[in-house]
Amino acid sequence: MSNINGKVYAMNAITPMKPWKTWVVRAILFALGHVNLLRQDVINLSFIEFARWVVVPRRGFPSLGGGQAKEDLKYDYLLFFSNFNGTWNQYIDAFSAVLSIGLNLVWRWSEKFPGPIPVTLFKEYIARVQFDTDYYFTAYPHATANDLKSAHIVQASLDSLVQRSHECTAEEFKSAYLNFVIQVQAHLGETGQAPIVF
Amino acid sequence: MPNQSGTVYGLTILSPIMNDENASPSHDLQIRNYLATLPTGEESPFALAPGTHLARLVVMDDVIFVGAPAIEEHLQSKYLVFESNCDGDLDGYLTGLAAAAPQHLDAVWNHCVGYPGAANPKAFVDYMKGCQIETTFFFAAVNDKSVTETLCALQTQRAVADFIAGHQGIEPARLQAEFAEFVTRLESEPLPKPGSTGSPRAIKTGGRNE
Repeated sequence: MSNINGKVYAMNAITPMKPWKTWVVRAILFALGHVNLLRQDVINLSFIEFARWVVVPRRGFPSLGGGQAKEDLKYDYLLFFSNFNGTWNQYIDAFSAVLSIGLNLVWRWSEKFPGPIPVTLFKEYIARVQFDTDYYFTAYPHATANDLKSAHIVQASLDSLVQRSHECTAEEFKSAYLNFVIQVQAHLGETGQAPIVF
Repeated sequence: MPNQSGTVYGLTILSPIMNDENASPSHDLQIRNYLATLPTGEESPFALAPGTHLARLVVMDDVIFVGAPAIEEHLQSKYLVFESNCDGDLDGYLTGLAAAAPQHLDAVWNHCVGYPGAANPKAFVDYMKGCQIETTFFFAAVNDKSVTETLCALQTQRAVADFIAGHQGIEPARLQAEFAEFVTRLESEPLPKPGSTGSPRAIKTGGRNE
């Protein structure tokens, strides 16, 4: 079991939904995917690298024959996978505090979902529907989501300075360099080994 | 398309695991045993193959009963969940995986129903796509950069921080010359491998806060 690799935590959760409710969830997730304003809170929670919801209809589990018994389910299932930085408690607390409306919209259609507030019952529910990761890989174990965003800002600023540097005098370069330092100074945070988390 | 966010692809695969009462240990346990020994750093199959940002493999034993009055029900098969956040083109990504680490893929998926092996890339891709579930909503914090671009940017970020720290208050002509050298050196440096944690940096001491 390895839910953690470097600075990233892998979370898996599965919740049952009555089939008619699945269509409501699909509509909400469609809106979430197409209206930028609705995603703003997720973007602002800048410790999520990747996240997804996957609806698996009760007859949608892969059936390959070859002796595999067919599934006979009453519920559709909502799978949630997240890759985030920090601890499980920090993540769920932040979800409850910042994303409560959005989360409620998506998860309230799952059986027995208590709502994201109060957070104690929410945590109890998530702990119940979560299952552990057996193998977890990240290409950037030493970096957080913010590090990745910052690194791309530094790269873009450097590329632009390099272009300018070919065609300017030493004095002009110094001025451009100072501007570059001002642009990137907030994005030079140290990457490295993950802290010990609990 | 919900599987895609910008240039990043959210791949979700559920492969049914063989349910053979005579297998000892059971197939799901054999998968877990193998995954427990599989490297997660630079030697990971996902590091050897191009294009994986993050990936996970999970044995899903069953669905979860959330308590009455919900109905308690169970799956007939256990499933191997493969969740990958990878660069663009799915066929190219899966073919790259099959080419880079066939022995690892076979060791894991040989315990799944209908797995054809990685030796035949076309059959492998078809099998994976046959087990794919469409992602309903996919979020990527950075959705317009490849793995290579991101590794390069992280390397640049680190080098720039060191360059700036070592070039404060330098006269303009020297700054310009050393910057040009720095850029040339940076461009010629090999990229860190995916999954690498990089070399540890010396702790800087003597700051105002000490």
